[in-house]
Amino acid sequence: MRKLYIVCCLMAVLSVAGQDAGSMLMIDAGYASVHDSYLTPITYDGLDLAMSVEAVRNVRHDKWLWQLMVGVDYNYVENNVRNNDLHKLMGDITFDMQRVWRNAIARRIDVSVGPMTQLRAGIVYDEVNSNNPVTVRAHWNVGATAMAAWHTRLGRKPVTLRYQVQLPVLGVFFAPEYDESYYEIYLGNHRNLAHLGWWGNRLDMTHYLGADLRLGKTTLRLGYRTRLEHWNVNHLKVHDVTHSAVLGISL
Amino acid sequence: MASAFNYNEFIQPACQQFVEFVVKKMKKIIFFVVVLLLTGCAQQDDFESDQVGNFEALWSIMDEHYSFFDYKQVNWDEVHQRYRALVSNKMTDRELFDVCGEMLKELRDGHTNLIASHDVSRYWIWEQWPVNYDERIIDEHYLNFDYKMACGIKYQILPSNFGYMYYDSFMSDIGEGNLDLILSYLSTADGLIIDVRNNGGGLLTNVEKLVSRFIGEKTLAGYISHKTGPGHNELSKPYAYYFEPTKNHIHYLKPVVVLANRSSFSATNNFVSIMKSLGNVTIVGDTTGGGCGLPFTSELPNGWRVRFSSCPIMDNKGQLTEFGVAPDVRVDMNENDRTSDAILDEAINILTNSSINH
Repeated sequence: MRKLYIVCCLMAVLSVAGQDAGSMLMIDAGYASVHDSYLTPITYDGLDLAMSVEAVRNVRHDKWLWQLMVGVDYNYVENNVRNNDLHKLMGDITFDMQRVWRNAIARRIDVSVGPMTQLRAGIVYDEVNSNNPVTVRAHWNVGATAMAAWHTRLGRKPVTLRYQVQLPVLGVFFAPEYDESYYEIYLGNHRNLAHLGWWGNRLDMTHYLGADLRLGKTTLRLGYRTRLEHWNVNHLKVHDVTHSAVLGISL
Repeated sequence: MASAFNYNEFIQPACQQFVEFVVKKMKKIIFFVVVLLLTGCAQQDDFESDQVGNFEALWSIMDEHYSFFDYKQVNWDEVHQRYRALVSNKMTDRELFDVCGEMLKELRDGHTNLIASHDVSRYWIWEQWPVNYDERIIDEHYLNFDYKMACGIKYQILPSNFGYMYYDSFMSDIGEGNLDLILSYLSTADGLIIDVRNNGGGLLTNVEKLVSRFIGEKTLAGYISHKTGPGHNELSKPYAYYFEPTKNHIHYLKPVVVLANRSSFSATNNFVSIMKSLGNVTIVGDTTGGGCGLPFTSELPNGWRVRFSSCPIMDNKGQLTEFGVAPDVRVDMNENDRTSDAILDEAINILTNSSINH
């Protein structure tokens, strides 16, 4: 409920701040690889599906850009012999503010850089494990994002090609101890569950490359997104990667 | 009045310099990003999926996660030497499974199983002990085939006016409302017999639900620990956990007898160890089957799964009950007597004496 409240507040702030630069509804579909040593030492791979909404506002005379993304993603992955599967369901909220340099490198190329923050949480579920059937993922972090956009044309249609990287630097995340059961956490042992995340123990990255094609009042988005989540703490290792095609439409 | 911090003077030039730097270093940055992306895909598992690889994976999983090596004085390196000599890549899956299953039996652990499509390896030592339970005898000669059933619990008031509850699995979820109805029905009885013989365990949350109906105050239930790293002795400091009486629900605080046998295993072993610590409870029958390690599951490259004791749970004195909880009154059934249950008879005697003394 509190998360929903925060999202509503951010949406409200975005709606009154600056000029609407577009909102997109996006669907990602592609490949996922999940490795979570709390559940299994085997790397699973399979399907990545995600849905997200992105709202962008230009503020302070187009010198700044505010971007809010809210999304959920689901991975259905199997082991190498295809006799077991994992389900991973995550949700995230990402907000960033970027300083924009119009025509920075060449004409019609905008470059922007700025700070970002992200809250991401969810679960990974193994159908057949006994007392370690599920693990909770949760982290909050701050970092940097950078974007390059080239405004050009495809025939007579305006097209924007965009590349963006999101790179969290520092944060806090949840992890149980090596073989700690969630039953023990339920009994009240909450020691050593929160960890400071930095590049020494955690690396998250999201890259997006795509094109926004304007068709009248509607914008169609085609792109590619890859996401890496890697951490190593309490002798536990997580290494998840997705590579997905992105299809979006303006709202 | 001049501002102490001028945006145009400091921030904008710095940002422009940064952008110029990025443009200059663009090739290197793209190379760095591509390398990161490629390495991001390169997660490799540690073991090959041939017979030797699977054997080594199993041995390593147990080496790094099993929690009772020292308690059971098992030299796992020596076990590796002995069984590795029996493994080759020319073996069939069944042959490999048999070798691996024998290796796991060295741990003498009912919670440790290798699970494949064709078989489950096991160390179920209770299969070799006296059975000490016959449902038919109780149904026919004590309940006269007349009993109630709710949430997996069979219950009735015996002619001696003692309540009888049989709970066959802690996997059967217990509803608080169901327990209220059962205990209110049994509230007129002078004592209660809880029979958990042949109960092979299940959910520890059901243990808490049941025990919470037989305590009048916050009670130390025991201690729980877990592995904190791959070393054999890397165990966390035992964490004391307590059960509290269920609020706004019916409790039973009259004398209670718990019936147990060697097949009372895992969560049932835990239930018996906690009930034994309560003042008004007597344990009758045989030693429980043990199994005080909360089992985790892992996986081999070939898809076989292995279950093993991971988190030791101790009784309220801090003692492991891996090899069982001894009864207060040791009784065996007479296997030739098909009309009476000596363990249940002893429970009735204990409750009768208790009510006479009161």
